[in-house]
Formats: sequence, structure tokens, C-alpha cells
Amino acid sequence: MDIARRTEWKILASPLVVFLLLFLGFPAIVNLIYSLSQVSFESLRSPTLTGPQNYLDVLTDSSFWSACWFSLRFGLITAVAECLLGLFLAIFLAPLIEKHSFLMAPLMLPLMVAPAMIGLMYRLVLHEFVGPVPYYLYTFFGDSPSFLNADNAFWTLCVVEALQWTPFAFLLFYMAYQAIPLEVRQAAQIDGASPAQILRRIDLPLMLPTIVVAFFIRFIDGFRVFDNVYTLTGSGPGGSTTSLSIYIYEAFFKQGAIGKAVAASVVLFIASFAVLFGLNWLANRRRKAAA
Amino acid sequence: MKILRWIVLVVAVLVLNFPVLVTLITSFKSGAELSINPGFWIDQPTLENYAKILQVDDRLNIFGYLANSLIASLIGTTLAILLAFPAAYAIARGGFGRKALMPAIVNLRAVPLIIFAIPIYMMFQWVGLLDTQLGLGLILTIVNLPLALIVLVNAIDDIPLELDEAAKIDGASTFQIMLRVVRPVIRPALVTTFIFGFITAWNEFLFGLMLTTSKAVPMTVGASFFFAASGGGVQWGPASAVMIVGALPPMLLGLVMYRQISGSMTAGAVKG
Repeated sequence: MDIARRTEWKILASPLVVFLLLFLGFPAIVNLIYSLSQVSFESLRSPTLTGPQNYLDVLTDSSFWSACWFSLRFGLITAVAECLLGLFLAIFLAPLIEKHSFLMAPLMLPLMVAPAMIGLMYRLVLHEFVGPVPYYLYTFFGDSPSFLNADNAFWTLCVVEALQWTPFAFLLFYMAYQAIPLEVRQAAQIDGASPAQILRRIDLPLMLPTIVVAFFIRFIDGFRVFDNVYTLTGSGPGGSTTSLSIYIYEAFFKQGAIGKAVAASVVLFIASFAVLFGLNWLANRRRKAAA
Repeated sequence: MKILRWIVLVVAVLVLNFPVLVTLITSFKSGAELSINPGFWIDQPTLENYAKILQVDDRLNIFGYLANSLIASLIGTTLAILLAFPAAYAIARGGFGRKALMPAIVNLRAVPLIIFAIPIYMMFQWVGLLDTQLGLGLILTIVNLPLALIVLVNAIDDIPLELDEAAKIDGASTFQIMLRVVRPVIRPALVTTFIFGFITAWNEFLFGLMLTTSKAVPMTVGASFFFAASGGGVQWGPASAVMIVGALPPMLLGLVMYRQISGSMTAGAVKG
């Protein structure tokens, strides 16, 4: 009976497993082989094994490390900005949204637009001749910074990313804020706690797990950013906005350096796996400590 | 204090949706007006940009992009649910793969997908799936799988086990229970998964960029063609109209989804 049921579970899960092996397992193996080979678009089917040369090329490539640095900074800065803004909006606007829940819709709308589209839209918004932002800055201040030059492009991209994904943090925090039992706050109020004290001693500590989750989700998405950076600045000016994803894309499509691109992919895979593994381990340990 | 909250809300909505609003305004301006008036008002609203982009030519075919996005997204969403639902049932009820399979797929959401893009590109070249709607749809399935699986496992976890057991006593097989008992109960979760998956698929860009070149180009990639194609600078009016048309389907669906979520939340509250 149990064995029969166990077989049934296996059968039900097997389509998914087969699909994953085909579309993720096989590519992972291809990645591994090609990263250890010399290969070009002409010799795609007959790579020659050459050992770890591609990895050495990647790890000694200064633009690989500057791409790492870009992704790391971009992920951290945008995640912090999104969480702070989202937290503020969730707590400050909660009384309004509780009463008029449809107000959620316009706040969530940026999440429905493709990041690639948002990147294209900002090319219009920030354009020096047809963009309203430079237009009004010229009108009122007589000058407008060039948002997409080498000095400013990074920060422009951070703002673009943060404004699109703040609603995500807001949504998570609003849900967590709503989940705090009213009695807890009322009890604190009766004990004479001020609104600021309630926020600091009750709301924020109870929301902390959600804040941590939101931060990591947003950090990871910022770290692997591709779409909006690609459509807004490409990788320019002068490669100053090359994220890791864009580095791999350009190595493959623009330079035809397949081995290097694939080796960088494997490095990135190992790095993200290590980070995820560490996070899971930490979460499990905390869960055990709490139990 | 109440007025201050309303002000913050309005400012937040305007700032967060700023690029969409600017693009919407620009899409109703003629080329002549745009060159002298980049501001927020429209002197003479016109539909000429929309008329222009709907004229199909060899290089830019907006109906083709929309159709590609629609078909690839439908494949990517439907297939993800077809694969995830039985697996979610096995995970939730049988505990199958809860230790290894589930975390592996959930973590997939955090892995930069570009890692798989290059070998998939080569794989597709070998089997002839490059630049096809089916090929793009298969990849969008991968993009959608993690979230679909999480949502469906949670939904099934919430159903009381007694429901399954009652059906089993009545002589239903596991497969029958899944389709006849569990599926109707988690219908709201299936709908939410479908809508959310469709939006995610429609908005995907990286794989569309890498795996399609002409026949199967999705809307997100096609929109960027309008920026690159015209020699002598971008035609901002038509480009804006394209972006609005391309962004509209997921935005409208998002408004629908918002209602669905709040609807199922109130339904849960009534039941509880």
C-alpha cells in the first residue's frame, strides 16, 4: 500500500523533474564542459578540452571584477532604498488603505510593467530634448545634469530600479503590518506607550522577519539585474554600467567569447549557490534555536 | 494628519508611475508638438502615433510582437501549472521531494537566469527551437515554475486532509482525488498563479532578447527595436505609443489580479 502510494507520488512529480533535468540539468552540464574547453561559434559541437584556462581568463579580467562590484553595490543600495521607502509607505499609508483597499492598485501598478519597458520609458523621461525632467530642470533652474553620463548613470539606474520595486517591499510590509494582532497594539496603548514606542518596540520587531526576506529578495534581484540596465544604458557609457548579467551577455554575443562567458556563468552559479546555501543554513539554525 | 497621508499617497502614486505617465502623455503628442513642448500638458491631442505603429511594415510588426508575447506567455503559464500542480500535490500530500526538490526549485528563483541562457541558446540551435514561440514558451515555463510551485503547495497544505481521506474511503484513486477534490478547492490559487505567471512571462526580456531574432520576437524586445530601427534618431511619439500598447495588457491584468487577491482574502475571512 505504502509502496504503491509512493510510486503514485513519484509519477505525479516526474513530469516536473524530467522537465527540470532537460532544461536546467542539461544546460548545467553543457556549461561545465564548455567552461573547460576552447570553443567558438564555428566549433560549437566539437569543443576541445583545454582545462581551467577560461576560468583563469575570467578571474584575471578586471572588467569581470568591476561587474561584480557594480552588481554588489547596485543590489545593496537598491534593496536598502526599497525597504526603507516601502516600510515608510506601508506604515504611513496603512490607515488609508485599510479603509479604501482599491488604493492598493495604483501603488502596485509599477510591478506590472516590464523592467525592460521601464528602462525604455526613462530614455524618454530623461532625454535632453524631449524628456520632461531635463525640460523642467532647465525651465526652473537653468541647468540639468546629464543623467546618463559616466558619473551619474549608476545612480540614475539605482533610482529607476528602486522606484519600480519599492511597491514590492511596500506590499510585503503592508501585509505583515496588517497581520499584527490589534490586541497587541491596544495592550501597549493601555500601558501608556506612545505611537513611536509602539512602532519601535512592537511593529518593527514583529515585522523583522518580513523585512529580512524582502531585503534578500530585492538584493538578489538587484544583483542579477539585466533588463532595465540593458535598455536604458546598454552597458555604457564606457562600460560603467556593466552588471554581471550584462558582462556574461556581452562576452557571449558581442565578443563571441563562449568559453569565457560560460566560465563566468559557472562562477556566478557557484557564488549564488554558496550564498543561498549559507542563507538556508542560517535560517535552519535559527528555526532550531527557536524551537 | 489625514490630509498628509492623502498627499503622500498621491505623490507616491505619481512618482512610482512617473515613467508610464510621461510615456502615456507623449504618445498623444504629434512630432511637431513634442519638439517644442516636452512638458506634462498636451496642446493638441492626436492619435497619429497609434495610427502609425499599427501600420505593419517588414521590419516592425507590432501585431506580430503582440501575438508572439501572447502565445509564448500562454504556453509558459499553462505548462508551468500543468507541471507544478501534480508535483505540488505530491509534495504537499506525499511529502515527496519536500527536502530536496522543493528547495531546489524555490532557490531557482534566486539564481541569475543568464547562467542557463547560453547553453539553452546552443541547445535550441541544435533542435531548431531558436526563434520559435514554442521555444520561448518553454523557457518562460522555467521562469514561472518556482512561484507556481510555492503558491500551489501552500494552497494544498491549507486544505484539510480529511477531504482527501473522505474521498479515498469513497473509493477515489489518488489521481481522481487530485483532479476532482483538490483542484476545485484550490481554483482561486490556480487562477492567481495563472494571471501572475502570465504577467511575469509577458514582461520577460532576457530570454526574448537572446533566443529570438525575427519570427518569435516578443513585445518587450520588439519595443526596443522602435528605438534602434529608425535612422536619424528615435521617433519618440510612435515609440511611446508602442510602449503603452506593450505595457497595457499586463497592467490591465494586474488591476484584475488585485481584485482577485482582495476577493479571495475576504472570502477566506468570511469562511473563517
